[in-house]
Amino acid sequence: MYIPQKDDFEFISGRDLEIDENFSSQGYWTGVAVHFFRNKFAVTGVILVVGIILFAIFAPLASSYEYDEIVSVVNSNGSEVVAKSLPPQVAGSDVQNSFADKTFIFGTDDMGRDLWTRTWQGARVSLIIAFVAIFIDMLIGTSYGLISGFFGGAVDNVMQRFIEVAGSIPTLVIISILAIFMDKGIGLVIASLLITEWIGMSKIARAECLKLKEREYVLASRTLGASSFRQIFLQILPNTIGPIITQVMFSIPVAIFTEAFLSFVGVGIVLPQCSIGSLIEAGFGNITILPYQILPPICVLAILMLGFNLIGDGFREALAPKLEDQ
Amino acid sequence: MKKFFMAALLLVTMIFTGCGGGNDSAGGNKLSVMLSSNVVSLDSAQCTDLASFEVIADCIDGLMQLDSNGKPIPALAESFDVSEDGKTYTFHLRDAKWANGDPVTAEDFVFAWRRHCQKAEEYAYVFGNTVGCVKNADAVIKGGDPKTLGVTAKDAKTLVVELDAPVPFFPALMAFPTFYPINEKFFSSLADGSYGTSPETFLSNGAFALTNYLPGTANIQLKKNDSYWNAAAVSIDGFQYQVVTSSDNALTSFKNGTLNVVNIGGNQVAHAKQDGELSKNLQTFSSGMLTYLSFNQDPKNHHAGALANVNLRLAISNAIDRESLVNNYVANGSTATYTAVPVKFAPNAKDGKFFAEDQKKYSDVVSFDVDKARKFLESAKTELGKTTFELSLIYANDSGDTSVKVVQAIKSQVEENLPGVTINLQPMPKAEYLSNVTSNNFDLALVDWAPDYDDPMTFLTLWTTEGCAIAEHWSNADYDKIIADCTTGSLAGDYDARWKALYDAEKILLDNAVIAPLYTDANAVLISSNVTGIDFHVAGISRVFKNVKLK
Amino acid sequence: MAKYIAKRLLMSILTLLVIVFVLFVLIRIMPGDPFPVERMSAEMILQKREELGLNKPILVQFVDYMSMLLSGSFGNGTSLYNGAPIKPILATCLWNSFKVGVLSILFGTFVGLGIGIVAALNRGKFLDGFCTLVSILGVCIPSYVSMIFLQYFFAYKIPLFPYFFDPANFFGSAIMPALSLSLFAVSTIARFTRNEMVEVLNSDYVKLAEAKGLYGFELVRRHVLRNALIPVVTVIAPLVVDLLTGAMVIEKIYGINGVGKLMVDAIAGQGVDYNYVLALGIVFSALYIGVMLVLDILYGIIDPRIRLTTKEG
Repeated sequence: MYIPQKDDFEFISGRDLEIDENFSSQGYWTGVAVHFFRNKFAVTGVILVVGIILFAIFAPLASSYEYDEIVSVVNSNGSEVVAKSLPPQVAGSDVQNSFADKTFIFGTDDMGRDLWTRTWQGARVSLIIAFVAIFIDMLIGTSYGLISGFFGGAVDNVMQRFIEVAGSIPTLVIISILAIFMDKGIGLVIASLLITEWIGMSKIARAECLKLKEREYVLASRTLGASSFRQIFLQILPNTIGPIITQVMFSIPVAIFTEAFLSFVGVGIVLPQCSIGSLIEAGFGNITILPYQILPPICVLAILMLGFNLIGDGFREALAPKLEDQ
Repeated sequence: MKKFFMAALLLVTMIFTGCGGGNDSAGGNKLSVMLSSNVVSLDSAQCTDLASFEVIADCIDGLMQLDSNGKPIPALAESFDVSEDGKTYTFHLRDAKWANGDPVTAEDFVFAWRRHCQKAEEYAYVFGNTVGCVKNADAVIKGGDPKTLGVTAKDAKTLVVELDAPVPFFPALMAFPTFYPINEKFFSSLADGSYGTSPETFLSNGAFALTNYLPGTANIQLKKNDSYWNAAAVSIDGFQYQVVTSSDNALTSFKNGTLNVVNIGGNQVAHAKQDGELSKNLQTFSSGMLTYLSFNQDPKNHHAGALANVNLRLAISNAIDRESLVNNYVANGSTATYTAVPVKFAPNAKDGKFFAEDQKKYSDVVSFDVDKARKFLESAKTELGKTTFELSLIYANDSGDTSVKVVQAIKSQVEENLPGVTINLQPMPKAEYLSNVTSNNFDLALVDWAPDYDDPMTFLTLWTTEGCAIAEHWSNADYDKIIADCTTGSLAGDYDARWKALYDAEKILLDNAVIAPLYTDANAVLISSNVTGIDFHVAGISRVFKNVKLK
Repeated sequence: MAKYIAKRLLMSILTLLVIVFVLFVLIRIMPGDPFPVERMSAEMILQKREELGLNKPILVQFVDYMSMLLSGSFGNGTSLYNGAPIKPILATCLWNSFKVGVLSILFGTFVGLGIGIVAALNRGKFLDGFCTLVSILGVCIPSYVSMIFLQYFFAYKIPLFPYFFDPANFFGSAIMPALSLSLFAVSTIARFTRNEMVEVLNSDYVKLAEAKGLYGFELVRRHVLRNALIPVVTVIAPLVVDLLTGAMVIEKIYGINGVGKLMVDAIAGQGVDYNYVLALGIVFSALYIGVMLVLDILYGIIDPRIRLTTKEG
């Protein structure tokens, strides 16, 4: 049997090849970016999230109060009192309780701390928690789901049984046990999120993998002898990014909500530190009589959620542009 | 798809028709009362919390009861005799009946008391030698023969109780639910462990009977018990309890008319005071509960016994502005306290003066004085050879937000007034908190202690070497001796000498700054204007509803 | 198919066994004694532990516990509610949570699917944007906050519903908690449905069907829904378990005697009640595994390809 040699082939030269300038000139990710920024919703989302992030970074730095500082004001009798539960006010303005010698843009909480500073400090803490936790979740969950889905059979079976065991132990029990070994605070919250949230991520990745591994292009690369690792991480993974990003966008609110829930059962952020969740929890107890205390953190939370969701939607559409959009 | 929809519809119909019906519970002129926490148990041998004590006392009468001033008056016992030495009480029971028609007999008490000691649950200690001094109680609690317990039924209507030592407050103690009777015949007809888990498994002999109750339920309904011996004096037909954990919810449900009696917290009190209508309904009662800082003095503690140094403890105690705590952060009418026994508590039986009437008595060691605190800190620094102290403060954070605010204020005040001292807050659920304070795993702990009976001893026995589970690891032979003398020893029978000796004990305690007392808690209560006659007590059962009148 | 189901059933039972063991060990290392200790002396605590059999080796305790489970009992509580038998109390709480949960699942699924389908059919148009916004708003506010708003406006300002949960008026008092619980489900389901529908609507076979002249409701029912629903089922399943197992904070605020509140009471009370936490853990896990089992079987019915691949592997 004749085996073709290298010399049997030669490049075609001299012919006029037509290259589509439109598509060759931009890479894949450039295309994604173009699509993304053409989407008004997505751009709104970016503006909202970036706005909150900028405030979270700079507002606590620029504030004249510390987030845990109990502020005193001079009352109408000239004596110093703790500035607790003051509604929003600007220094020098004429307010009913005549304490307006200091500015509190969002008012003060019932310990006498400035809510403006606390809200942005809380946003900072919550964002850090959400980003760190969800990033690690994504790494763990995606790899786990892809491996489980790709190999199938016994491997899948064992890995899915493990998920069932891990996923069906009540969160509260896991966290109570975790709390023995760790100090309460940011670390514990992140650890709890890691333990409970990666499962959802891995399920999405596995479902996608089950769908994709039967596709022709994966079959082709398998036929050509690509290793399992190559197939999983180079062939399948890039095509799961869309659903995973959608899942990440769903996970960020879950992360922030879980943090809020943890402070309800007493293992969240330790006061006087604060997070969006702990601020909501603190305002929650006085919601009908001091509503201005819960409004700032709830609004920040809502804006963040809205922003992340819009970005998520924009990403998903930009990553998998439909024919009609082109 | 269609089938799925039909099935769903069917399911909904089944659920709602299946549990529909039932009477309308929101009657117009009915009394609805807020409970701040769930009833833990209706078994008087096992309950540990104020809510349970209160509901049990609504339904069951003991030998004695407390009048509106907290003085013991007869309940099931028509009268009682005390022997010369004060060690034998003979109670003569009246003709009272259980709700099933059985007469209440002395045997019912004997059965209940023996059972409680034998079960050795948390509150069994009230029979023992630090409180009730019932003969042989401690031996029975430790597994002895329950028949040896010093309580006997001489006949159906005569109960004889023998004590190891005279107990000056014994009649008042008989109003405490742990000493209430249980109908033995009824009890033994029930399945194991099911006593007090539903209206059917709970037998009343008191002013009210349960009509709706399940363990853990948020809504408890009671109706008047017509076979109660004093039924003529009960003017309401019944009332209901609703468990409400949020103070904001409590306020709104009161404004809404859903509840008639609610407890509210500091922010809600400030709101109610500014509101013309609500301020008329607002009342404040001292609860007799002392909140204090406990210092762990165990040298084996991980801070290598820095807190074993008395000057460090004194420094912290004197750096706390208690007035600011109660006015700004607790803010519900609580009183700053500078003694180990709370204010407005334990009146002297002879002159009626409260034990802690003089709050300046120990002002040299318990006060708010930054200069003095810093001097104490300087001596502590030289004695210990350290300049910085990092201490953890543990507290239970699942029982309302007051303690959360208080610890933050303490942290802020101590760190500002005592340079070099850092306090790390460590919140935890109650169960974990208890495990830490009992297993010696803390530096500072915020402790709430509610009195069980109206005598200084309910607090002072906490700090003996063998005291309660909360361990400061402080031991003082003089202190132990005074307390032993006053409970079972030579001073037990001499009222005045005992009272004086208790002050000596308190002085030893505060000179050594074993604890830093903070404040005596108060209950701020909103009561509808048509409700009168609720009795509030500082010890044992906090609220009594049998004399309530509705306009 | 029967063999497939039998195999999955067996696996599920084995998984449950492992979970019970893991839970058993985990709960034994939780801090705190399983009974109130505040007023007990050290000696009494030791005595009580002995009585509850906590001094035996953990494996012996586990065998004891398993034999009790197999005799059809969850045993008695160690501290909560008087040490009464757990089964009837658990059944009551589960039933309460179940009723509110079912209501919110039905509401969440129908409204969510509805919004998702409408948005997908009008993709790119105003209605799509509107539906997306509505569904995003559902995840912006925690359910307990929406609960307190509902309670404030519809029980206090306008007294339409009872202010606290009233077992005698179940339907009236279940609406507000069910509504606030379902918000998260509504938005999750709506978004997933929309995304999947859009994908299916752009597929070639739908284009073919359209070319053949099928359009509107008929097209959606016959070609789109079946394929779009597969991933949506994945999202609904865990939501079902979450909702059925109760919402701790809402149950606490509104006074519902449900499993969420029971769990908090069992862990955060005066002592950690080992037997309640275990019983609840086992019930939660059994529910979760049961739903997953049903899901797998449903998968097999909706999409036979999945069954085939599982069989081969």
